[in-house]
Amino acid sequence: MLLGRVVGRLWAARQADSLSGRKLLLVRPEGASGETARLVVAVDGLNAGPGDRVIVAHGSRVRDLTVGPDVADKDIVIGIVDGTELAR
Amino acid sequence: MILGRVVGQVWATRRDPRLSRAKLLVIRPHGIYEPPLGTRHLVAIDDVDAGIGDEVVVCLGLPARTSLGSNDTPVDAAVLGVVDRVELDEGQLSPAGAAPGIRRPLAAAVVTEGRR
Repeated sequence: MLLGRVVGRLWAARQADSLSGRKLLLVRPEGASGETARLVVAVDGLNAGPGDRVIVAHGSRVRDLTVGPDVADKDIVIGIVDGTELAR
Repeated sequence: MILGRVVGQVWATRRDPRLSRAKLLVIRPHGIYEPPLGTRHLVAIDDVDAGIGDEVVVCLGLPARTSLGSNDTPVDAAVLGVVDRVELDEGQLSPAGAAPGIRRPLAAAVVTEGRR
């Protein structure tokens, strides 16, 4: 899993049937910078919103277990972060 | 499995119900493994009560999903052990890029002693 912050929502007029009705979030992984910094489009199963810090899990089995096997996205929000304690 | 250090803990009240009350730790993997997307960290559930500063073994994929006792935990990483001691002969390491996720040669400094 990774920690990230929801930076936006994504809508698409034309999209695969398997994504219709799914709330898609743009998540910026924490700690990423430079060339490798990119956004993750994650399916939201917990009603997260922009500004929330979230935990995103990856994989087809995670997807099957959370939002169902028909969804064409393997990055799933599985937790909304209340707080973190991080060592220096 | 990968080796890393626990650098933090995450609290999340709103979470997938199958995660129950499992502890969530932030792990900084050692140099032989780089998390995807350049995040330099990964979040793993913890079933062995590791704490910040511990060196741990983290497994990925199916064994992580089954670590809480059932096959339906929607996670991709789990702490499976707290490391007491690691000894590495750098000359015996596989070349960088030899396996998925392994991109850099291991730093010489990664002979490490756990908390206990």
